[in-house]
Amino acid sequence: MDFREDTFMLILGLIVIAFILAQSIFFLVKAIRRGKEIGMAGSVMKNTVVQSILFTITPALAIVATVVALAPALGIILPWIRLSVIGNITQETAAATAAIEAVSSGNLATPITDKHVFSVVAWVMTLASSLPLVVLPLCLKRLQKGMNKAMSKAGDAKLTDSLAAAAFIGLIGAFIARALAGKGTATQLADGTVQMNYDGAGILSVATLLVAIVVMLLLSKLAEKKNIGWLQNFAMPISMFVAMGAAIALFHLLPESLATFEFRAPVVS
Amino acid sequence: MKKERTYTDRMHRTGSIWSIVMFLVLLGVPVAFSAFYNIWPTFGEVWSGLWPVAMLFYPTAIIEIIAYSPLLGTGGMYLSFTTGNISNLKLPCALAAMDTANVKSNSEEGEVITTIAVATSAIVTTVIMAVFVLLLRPWIPKLTDPSSFFAPAFKQVMPALFGALGASYFSKHWKISILPILILTLIVAINGTVAVGVLIPVGVVISILGALLFYKLGWL
Repeated sequence: MDFREDTFMLILGLIVIAFILAQSIFFLVKAIRRGKEIGMAGSVMKNTVVQSILFTITPALAIVATVVALAPALGIILPWIRLSVIGNITQETAAATAAIEAVSSGNLATPITDKHVFSVVAWVMTLASSLPLVVLPLCLKRLQKGMNKAMSKAGDAKLTDSLAAAAFIGLIGAFIARALAGKGTATQLADGTVQMNYDGAGILSVATLLVAIVVMLLLSKLAEKKNIGWLQNFAMPISMFVAMGAAIALFHLLPESLATFEFRAPVVS
Repeated sequence: MKKERTYTDRMHRTGSIWSIVMFLVLLGVPVAFSAFYNIWPTFGEVWSGLWPVAMLFYPTAIIEIIAYSPLLGTGGMYLSFTTGNISNLKLPCALAAMDTANVKSNSEEGEVITTIAVATSAIVTTVIMAVFVLLLRPWIPKLTDPSSFFAPAFKQVMPALFGALGASYFSKHWKISILPILILTLIVAINGTVAVGVLIPVGVVISILGALLFYKLGWL
């Protein structure tokens, strides 16, 4: 049997997943208990759970896609473990590629058949991502105390509100800019042809963003005017689904040249 | 007299213990594999694969800890950094939950809501991944293949997610939204390879400076 997906690897995967679920359930129960202690309404916490479930489904499927992308070289179990703990698409792909290239002539598209290479990849992927688990216990408490102090020193409530909102907007802006402008890279293949690394940043990304914003604002307005509580709670996940539906519809309805249009000519790497 | 621990203190303590436990569990995977097959890579082999990514990801991890810390709260931070996929899932999920529940990130209610949101999101992600990996594996390529009917949606997860999330912030604070988004888009347009980990602190600093300037000018 393929060592990358045998019973031993499966048991390792299940152990890791069990710990992840245990920690998540532990924190969930603690937070709900705390919410009750400080008098928060049960309905608010229940809505948070339901909204978070809806909000998570599609990005989680996108993460499954990352597992699939790494599976040809690493099998399904190691990417599954790595994407369940700390991991994210950029980091895991980069770590796996660097490790494979460091000890073999393979790449992410070809299966690793050498256990030694596989063990190097497993070590590199683990060590590349685990720094926060060591740093957080050492510094998070002090960091948050310092930040709270700085915020309370700001004084004026309007200013502190605006500064907090500005921090959110700066952060969200970084992702929106990336989604709108993309990377614009390409890879030169062995036969000399240039293959564009399509990252979706073009007409479709702008349209998806605008649909999400407009639908969200319309639903919020509607919920507020007609006093529809459930709509207020689920406006965000609904807007996200509608925007992604719009992306699918536009991709299939628009002429190919528009649907796959990207703003920038790729740079040949 | 012994000082009574606050909820946040207790969360720091439990969070730290869980982080260390998860670090050991995580490290256990390559250790168990190497021990089981009696194949131990040399330090040099691991280092040659590790250093190029560590040079990039270790500083990014530190920046992310600083940038996300005021937004995710104590419980949310420990859990997010264990379960990963923060920027593309846990953070927007927590921000959306706070916005809907109408609570602030540095309040006790915000702490509860972010922890519930991140924990729920982590459980759902773990279950979805386990179901697909263990049971629905043959179906995955049909969903995610570039030629699949649904593929365009997977490419547009981020604009859909951050558009829905940003809408209420942009409409409430439109005056301070324009400057950071404009400058960030310009930066990415000039150099597309700038990592999100670098863009975030730049965006936060520009946005805060812009808000301070507007406040001084009396435009807020």
